[in-house]
Amino acid sequence: MIETADAPSSRMIEGAATPAAHSDEPKRVRRGVGRHPRGLPGSALSLGWVALAVVVVLVPLGYLVSLSLMTQGQISAGLLFPAEPAWQNWGNAWNSAIPRGITNSLIAAFLGSLLTLALALPGAWTIVRHRTGGSALSGLILSPWLLPPVVAIIPLLTLLRMLGLINTLPGLTLVYALMNVPVAIWLLDGFIRRIPVEIEEAARLDGAGELQLLRRVVVPVLGPALIAVGVIVVILNYNEFLFATFLTQSEGSQTVPVVLAGMLSERVQDFGRIAASSLLAIIPIFTIAVLLQRHLVEGLTTGAVK
Amino acid sequence: MSTDQRERTRIPPAATFPPQPEASPDAAPTSRRRRAERFQHRLFVTPSVLVLLVLALYPLLFIAAAALSRSSLGQPFQEFTGLQNLRAAAGDPAVQDSMLLGTAYGLGVAAVSTLLGTATAVALWRSVSSGAVLRTLLLLPMIVPPVIVGILFSFIFSPSGGLIDTLLRQFTSFSGSFAVLSDPSWAIIGVAMADVWEWTPLVVLLVFTALLGQDPEILEAAQLDGAQPVQQFFHVTLPTIAGTVAAAFLIRLILAFKVFDLVYVMTSGGPGSSTQVPAYLVWRAALQNFDVGMAAAITLVLAVVVTLVTLPIFHLTKRLRDD
Repeated sequence: MIETADAPSSRMIEGAATPAAHSDEPKRVRRGVGRHPRGLPGSALSLGWVALAVVVVLVPLGYLVSLSLMTQGQISAGLLFPAEPAWQNWGNAWNSAIPRGITNSLIAAFLGSLLTLALALPGAWTIVRHRTGGSALSGLILSPWLLPPVVAIIPLLTLLRMLGLINTLPGLTLVYALMNVPVAIWLLDGFIRRIPVEIEEAARLDGAGELQLLRRVVVPVLGPALIAVGVIVVILNYNEFLFATFLTQSEGSQTVPVVLAGMLSERVQDFGRIAASSLLAIIPIFTIAVLLQRHLVEGLTTGAVK
Repeated sequence: MSTDQRERTRIPPAATFPPQPEASPDAAPTSRRRRAERFQHRLFVTPSVLVLLVLALYPLLFIAAAALSRSSLGQPFQEFTGLQNLRAAAGDPAVQDSMLLGTAYGLGVAAVSTLLGTATAVALWRSVSSGAVLRTLLLLPMIVPPVIVGILFSFIFSPSGGLIDTLLRQFTSFSGSFAVLSDPSWAIIGVAMADVWEWTPLVVLLVFTALLGQDPEILEAAQLDGAQPVQQFFHVTLPTIAGTVAAAFLIRLILAFKVFDLVYVMTSGGPGSSTQVPAYLVWRAALQNFDVGMAAAITLVLAVVVTLVTLPIFHLTKRLRDD
């Protein structure tokens, strides 16, 4: 929590020994001593374990890249690395339903996330600050998240059919927007508690109404938190599969996980093309996550464990 | 906490507001204004309440009604059948097996993820100071869509040219074929491995952050008192992160109970019914057999099982965190 909220300069300090030309240097270095007790046995073990963890994370992803550049013949022959890159896999992936799936996914993910934030923020703020709804509301808010989402599918399917939104991207976007409101409220809670009440009180003394307070004080102060929670919700939406399979049966509205799952059920499976398609689907979400990784980490850590 | 203090310094100065005619500070705090505020607060929580109604209450009523009636996907609530569906669901060996499997899978995956994740977080904390690069790296598995994780691990476990198969052939004298996902006792382990790969990083991240957030002064005091590093770890560090570890276990357990995508992509519940986890069973009942009444009854059984399993852990987490 503390590290992520810190200035970038402090994260460059590796260990206790490095001197840092920074104002909070003494505290930092002292803390470093506390965190890295000298002569601790098993430091090599720690490093080894971390290295192993990195390998475990990276090998499957590297294998996917390797597969995406191999022909089916090479894969069956038991090669781990392509003899010569089979770029046609990527061409095939690009000329399939994947790009449209990615576009659909991104639209549903981003619009859904924006709507979720718009719905969740006023509620989260009011629940934290004014206890509107009492303990019943704050206790119940996360309940939909606890059960497998399959539970809500049939009721929601029925509802969407009545609204005429089935098999459309707007329908799916609406479901995503609603689905993540509980999680967004839960994550925002930790951030809202950290706003000093004084600024809100000051604004109130200046005559701000509740809506103005929300718009001109809470939203700007919560800016980074909104990005953090927004990114998490975008990722959840982008990766969602169960609702997407049901609510987007028509080809034009399918999201990328649905398209990929469809590829798996084809009679002749082309590992290379599926691998390339999977990587194409990962690229946008990885880019977003890496660009906003500081927000993402802060959102996960501040929000999930308070 | 120190976090609050740090945050305070980053906050921009509050904007100034044009005084509102009907609610100037002098006239306030009138009861009229307070009533208006309360009205606005209710307005603000209205979307959240509506979401709860649509996402929790409506499905609950729908499921209860479906469980008590003969219902198909196209035509729900055809006729009232009382407890017939529920009795059939609770007495069905396939449902019982699925609940047992789901519980064992959830607890197993959560335990392994929490152990590995905590160990990795501690190792990371001992090795680097902030680990910004490593942290980004660790985020990657969580971000990969579960469908793709399933595809990836299907490839890894594939008996014809998969990663494990190839490595076994190259480095051992093994020459048969080892199809993890078509073996009734190994298939669920294969799914669990994919699940652990995807979500253990979340545990690492949460525990690592808790380790960084330890009060350095307590550690120092322990050091001055001559506590050995190992003692320090068990008496100072471990108690401070215990709450976070428990919370991570709980989050992980809930996620594991919900597993669906991985099973759908990797095994389709098979071979036989060896990977038929509860979410998959509900899905099959409703959308392959179109028996919504039965699916609803299984859902209610599942709700009871999930509650019974998570409640004790929920209370444990709360106790550990309130210390």
